[in-house]
Amino acid sequence: MSTVDTTLDRPARTPRRSAPRSTLTRSSGLALGLAMTWFSLLVLIPLAAVVVTASEGGWGAFWSTVTTPQTAAAIRLTVLTAAAVTVVNVVMGPLIAWVLVRDRFWGKSVLEILIDIPFALPTIVAGLVLLSLYGNDSPLGVNVANRRPAVFLAFLFVTLPFVVRMVQPVLEELDRDVEEAAASLGASRVTTFRRIILPSLAPAIAAGAALSFARGVSEYGSLVLLSGNLPFQTEVTSVRILSSIENDNVAGAAAVATILLVISLVVIVVLDLIQRRVAARG
Amino acid sequence: MSIEVSGLNKTFGDFVALDDVNVSLPKGQLTALLGPSGGGKSTLLRIIAGLEKADSGSVTIEGVDATDLPAQKRNVGFVFQHYAVFKHMTVAKNVAFGLEIRKRPKDEIERRVAELLELVHLSQFAHRLPSQLSGGQRQRMALARALAVEPSVLLLDEPFGALDAKVRKELRDWLRRLHDDVHVTTVFVTHDQEEALEVADEIVVVDQGRVEQVGTPDQLYDEPANDFVMSFLGDVTHLGGLTLRPHDIELDATPRLAGGVEGTIARLVRIGFEVRVTVHTVDGDEVSVVVTRAHARSLGLAEGRTVWLTPAAGAAVVPRMVLAG
Amino acid sequence: MTTYLLRLVAATYLFLLVAWPVSLVAVNTFDDGFASIRALFADPDIVVALRLSAYVAAVSVIVNTLFGVTISMLLVRYEFPGKRVLNALLDLPLSVSPIVVGLALVLVYGGRYGWFGPTLQGWGFDVIFSTPGIIMATAFVALPLMIREVVPVLEEVGVEQEQAAQSLGASGWQSFWRITLPSIKWGVVYGVVMTLARSLGEFGAVKVVSGNVLGQTRTATLVVEEKYLNFDQQGAYATAFLLAMVSVACIVVVAIIRPKNQH
Repeated sequence: MSTVDTTLDRPARTPRRSAPRSTLTRSSGLALGLAMTWFSLLVLIPLAAVVVTASEGGWGAFWSTVTTPQTAAAIRLTVLTAAAVTVVNVVMGPLIAWVLVRDRFWGKSVLEILIDIPFALPTIVAGLVLLSLYGNDSPLGVNVANRRPAVFLAFLFVTLPFVVRMVQPVLEELDRDVEEAAASLGASRVTTFRRIILPSLAPAIAAGAALSFARGVSEYGSLVLLSGNLPFQTEVTSVRILSSIENDNVAGAAAVATILLVISLVVIVVLDLIQRRVAARG
Repeated sequence: MSIEVSGLNKTFGDFVALDDVNVSLPKGQLTALLGPSGGGKSTLLRIIAGLEKADSGSVTIEGVDATDLPAQKRNVGFVFQHYAVFKHMTVAKNVAFGLEIRKRPKDEIERRVAELLELVHLSQFAHRLPSQLSGGQRQRMALARALAVEPSVLLLDEPFGALDAKVRKELRDWLRRLHDDVHVTTVFVTHDQEEALEVADEIVVVDQGRVEQVGTPDQLYDEPANDFVMSFLGDVTHLGGLTLRPHDIELDATPRLAGGVEGTIARLVRIGFEVRVTVHTVDGDEVSVVVTRAHARSLGLAEGRTVWLTPAAGAAVVPRMVLAG
Repeated sequence: MTTYLLRLVAATYLFLLVAWPVSLVAVNTFDDGFASIRALFADPDIVVALRLSAYVAAVSVIVNTLFGVTISMLLVRYEFPGKRVLNALLDLPLSVSPIVVGLALVLVYGGRYGWFGPTLQGWGFDVIFSTPGIIMATAFVALPLMIREVVPVLEEVGVEQEQAAQSLGASGWQSFWRITLPSIKWGVVYGVVMTLARSLGEFGAVKVVSGNVLGQTRTATLVVEEKYLNFDQQGAYATAFLLAMVSVACIVVVAIIRPKNQH
């Protein structure tokens, strides 16, 4: 019976070490070392210096710096406006993406280009651009210059591409069969959208929202000419940091900067988690 | 021996891809690595090529220990299932690649490329991009590219797997003829037993990371080492304690031979010249038997009739596998 | 019906937020013909600023291309401990405020109290308030762009062509130059264009590290602010127009390249 039960005759499989954790060769290891050195010198060490400088005075000093009325007002304005803009983007982003992917009409390629302009346009120019339509000489008669809506408008402009560009490729790959299947099963267009399409777009929308929130919170350039940087009125966090730097109060600047860095880090962790969830879904 | 593989182990995480594999492949032969997908045959081929590293064990190619040699030093030709054509190069440039890397003189490269394109019938496509070729043509180009460097062994990983049935059959015949001309030691991976039986001089059956049997197509078909090999190479059925082929069972309308098993015909299906009979035996087995149409008619077979089954003389049989649990 | 409504909403939104304001810059620039543009090039300090911006952007593109392609290859083709953390950290420059970037660089490379600054200055090497600082600030903010373009292309291309090249005797280097690079070419070009646009336009980080010295470390974007605040609106619009032209040109180039890239 030696040939009979081959599966049973086999010796118990000995546990082996799992696949090696590193597949680097000597030259790729060297390349990684060089790249990491540059990345550390350019990004990691400087950012660490911000946190270290902020912590030098201890927690008390840090807390009193970031809670001075003027700073707290700036942080509140920045975060709340970025949040509001993100809400608008969560609605408008998928809508624009939908039009770009599913609709066909003359001039669509122009819209495609318009979406990317805020990303490529220098932020100082973006401020000037908005000022020309919504400033003192507004042909529309809408003047937001040096008022709070200016911050909202500037954030809206610079964050425009994020949700659109995250959602668009997902929408392109979305299987139309699935929608047709849902329709054939009796689902209305609204139901199909809510139950079938929206869940597939949700991770992309969330990722785009996280990026647009982070971008809003960290915005500086487009506000310089537009918002007037009035304390308690239109002064955002970045401007607060800059005036601390200009007054040679580096510790104060670092403390406020740390708040922004923490927000950036949270956003990156959120993005990483979203990517993992999407990857797990396959 | 052209390729000697010994004590090869390979795991991916918890998955055991190869489990103590030993194989020797003689020079100049066309060998098939046959087995179900996920059985480890592609991993074995890739380790021979140096595209994958084994956890332990050794690989010797033409007497040279190649275990720690990188792929580019093994002088092995490799053909991928999805062709791996260099998309940005013309057909001629693709074929010339290995020779250019070896810094051969220009005129020699030109001559050799022309020869090879002639060999794979792609001369008129020399200056096209691979995207302008069909799947079969791309794979022939990939083959020419691999042959250009005069490899000591030629390895093909499911070379026809991505092609449709008709082209696959043509290329299969063509590979056999090519091998008869070129005589380079060739190993190809396939999960198609018909392909292996038709083309190969020798077949290595691999399943669950182990070599189940090595032999010529005839040996494998007539003397399968075990139930797995037997069932992988063709249809099988079970009669009594035996596993055997449906056409190797004699079916009689009367208890003619001693040891015949009695049963009732449950179903009759006629397909072309053959008739497939399903018999429920008194032992409780469901047995498939294939007979010719003439034979079925002469016996007057019909559903519900009682028949007697016996293994034919000279039938390939193996004892039935005892299922675990 | 819904389709037309959505189309109308999207088009109106983009028109009011982007198209109209951007076109107004062009209109304002050419209020009096080419005079304002000509005036720009007549001012030697402005020419220095434009040249500095171009130089900084060029260096930033070169540095980020080398770094980006290398790190993309490592991320896609190799496994190593800490890869996931590195992958996440590489996106950090996208979400860090430019002012924080400037501050961070000053804290490390500042000549007076930076971590490395005084030492570097001792060797006669100024970073902050000088061109290297501007380059670093620019390279920082544009760092993820190349990686974000090249990584998906590398993943899409797969490893089989490289493996085929290796089995034909190509070394890692040969396979990179002859096979990998040509197949990710368009991703790299796209990354270069995006990096260029971002580098030319950087404002906040440069403002912190440059010192903004007229005729020396003032870049084109700083000129826009300076001119506007000094009530030279024409000059501000003209400079902004030049910068906007470059970035719009970049986007159009990309829009033309992209469809060719798809199979």
